[in-house]
Amino acid sequence: MNVEIVDLTRRFGRTEAVAGVSLQAGPGVFGLLGPNGAGKTSLLRMLATVIQPSSGTLRLLGRDPGSYGPRREIRRRLGYLPQNLGYYPGFTVAEFVEYFALLKDMPPGRVPAAVAAAVERTGLGDKARAKLRTLSGGMLRRAGIAQAIVNEPELLLLDEPTAGLDPEQRVSFRAMLRNLGETATVIVSTHLVEDVGAACTKVALMNQGKILFYGTPTELTARADGTDAAGDAPLERGYSAVLAAARTGAGAWS
Amino acid sequence: MTATTPAVPARRPPARRLTLAAPARLLRLELRRNIAGWLLPLIVALFWLDGYHYAMGFPPFWGLRSPVLPDRAMVDFALFGAGASAWVGSRDVRRRTTDLLTVTAVPRWGRQFVTWAATTGWAMAAYLVCVAVLYWSTARQGAWGGPPLWPAAVGAAGVAAACALGFAAGVFFPSRFTAALATLAVFILATAIKGGGTSTYGLISPVAPQGSFRPDSGVFYHYLPDLSIDQVLLLAGLAAAALGALGVPAASGGRWLRRSAAALTAAGLVTAGTAIGLAGTARLEPYGVVIPALHDAASDRPIPYTPVCGQAAIPVCLHPAYQAYLPAVTAALRPLLSQVAGLPGAPVRVVQVAYLNPTEFATGGAPTIAGRPAVLRLPLGFAVLAQQTQTEFLQSRAAPVIMGSVIGGGTSGASPAQQAAEAGLLQAAGVPVAQLASMGSVYKPPAPGSPVYAAATRFAALPAAARHAWLLAHLAALRAGQITLEQLP
Repeated sequence: MNVEIVDLTRRFGRTEAVAGVSLQAGPGVFGLLGPNGAGKTSLLRMLATVIQPSSGTLRLLGRDPGSYGPRREIRRRLGYLPQNLGYYPGFTVAEFVEYFALLKDMPPGRVPAAVAAAVERTGLGDKARAKLRTLSGGMLRRAGIAQAIVNEPELLLLDEPTAGLDPEQRVSFRAMLRNLGETATVIVSTHLVEDVGAACTKVALMNQGKILFYGTPTELTARADGTDAAGDAPLERGYSAVLAAARTGAGAWS
Repeated sequence: MTATTPAVPARRPPARRLTLAAPARLLRLELRRNIAGWLLPLIVALFWLDGYHYAMGFPPFWGLRSPVLPDRAMVDFALFGAGASAWVGSRDVRRRTTDLLTVTAVPRWGRQFVTWAATTGWAMAAYLVCVAVLYWSTARQGAWGGPPLWPAAVGAAGVAAACALGFAAGVFFPSRFTAALATLAVFILATAIKGGGTSTYGLISPVAPQGSFRPDSGVFYHYLPDLSIDQVLLLAGLAAAALGALGVPAASGGRWLRRSAAALTAAGLVTAGTAIGLAGTARLEPYGVVIPALHDAASDRPIPYTPVCGQAAIPVCLHPAYQAYLPAVTAALRPLLSQVAGLPGAPVRVVQVAYLNPTEFATGGAPTIAGRPAVLRLPLGFAVLAQQTQTEFLQSRAAPVIMGSVIGGGTSGASPAQQAAEAGLLQAAGVPVAQLASMGSVYKPPAPGSPVYAAATRFAALPAAARHAWLLAHLAALRAGQITLEQLP
């Protein structure tokens, strides 16, 4: 298993962003669904080793990220696209991707080819020499994805990767995700259920820091059977049904 | 007949591209996109207008021009270097790339070091180019001896230290205002130290007016590098401490790396503290600042040289570094010396001597006559070297000394006849006696219309041979005060 989480929590002051999550994930595309404030980003940041868990056990790629040496090994094999992508406006697309390739400790000899491949794969080949400040929001997002995949990561964490992408780009991005998921563990945090339906083999639905559902997209769709859950697509209805059940059960969520 | 296939020219194998190591590639990226690169034209223009023209305003002597470097380096280069470094240091927070960078494998300290090196590299490159231009221009003007490298090293260390401190400020206090504040802090520090005087703090600062060299350093005596070494120690220590501090926080890297960073910080602080302690033991010697622990006694020995001489009734000999000034000095002294040459007490030779303190150099200093036979010992100061008042200035300084050594009486106790004889000789030499006082000379000319003035005019009107013959015959009596105004021809 590339990701093994047992009873993971993360608190920010009095707020418990992630509350006792347990999860395992191997190769494949894994969707993390949930409404705003569900704890998806906090969970992803812990998986990315940006922040440390408050409690619980976390093992990534068979290593404990709590120690410096294993954490560095994990980071060499990790790709991460944060929700708010920061960038250096004066860098070109190729320079931005090369910069992160080098920081990910890739062998320098492999970097040029890897950069070119990542840039091509995200459809930015003709913009490789364009400064980041000149790119649209969608193109910037793709540049962010390019830096995340440049080292051919074994664990790829993408936070809202399709935000700002047009429908055509979104379709090709999903294809790329499926392709990456054949060898790596790809965890995609999103609130767009169609992305999950099209690309993910497994899906977890989070709310208030807890995982409410874990299964395949088909199983999530099936949760809507026999309910009057709202939604335009079957998966959306499943999503709404799980959340509605949670609200009823908890009684406090409105 | 056999068919032959035309020889296909062998294709040259494609040239193998040199693969740079990862730090070198990172450095190349940082250099290409560093803000300091954009500031270079501004910095170079500032140095051109400020430092270069200021330095070139001095006569072409290494000891005069090279001390400008650490002073102006702190203002022209370090100021902008600190600001640019602070801007780059705060970049990750301003650009919100912290999360992206946190999950990379290269330790944060290593990445920050490369970013600092790129910013400092630009500032340093600009500084070194400007140093090269200044030294090249000075060498082209015929400066004697070799360029001293220590002042340039102090400036370089100042640039590196300012960049390191600015970068650390940017990292630890990331804000869009940090760059401006860092620039302001360096400026205030620099201007505050300028008024530091001879305190330890004022002495060790690269912008201190005390400086490391005396005006005749590298001419009569070796450059004393003691203070420069101490300044480099201080600045290198500060740079090391600032860079080391970047690696101390938990997120900077592994345990050994953080321990190394802490050790570097401690070593930097100890080095800087040692430098300050050493500066406290400094003493100002005639040839420069001496710090006993850093002093090489061999530096105290005079530099041997063969003087260059001209003729102005008697030989006038200067240090070869001042060869360009020999015609002017000879021309200025000739009228005076020709009046007294051969008389008892008159100098038989003029030799240039070193200045022993900077104040004397700035005011021109005072020639003296000593020895038997008498030798006029002439320091050539900054004011003397200034082209426009050279002749008048030299005469104003030399005239009272030369005439006093022949006529006697001094400046206050001279008899009326001695005053008249002295004034007459100066008038005969064509020296504008009325202007001497305005040039700062100790000589006081007789008031026009006074009996002394009338006697002086009468004495000056004599033919040179007759005046000289009378002086040869009556000089002993004149010096003894036994000659009256009426007895003066």
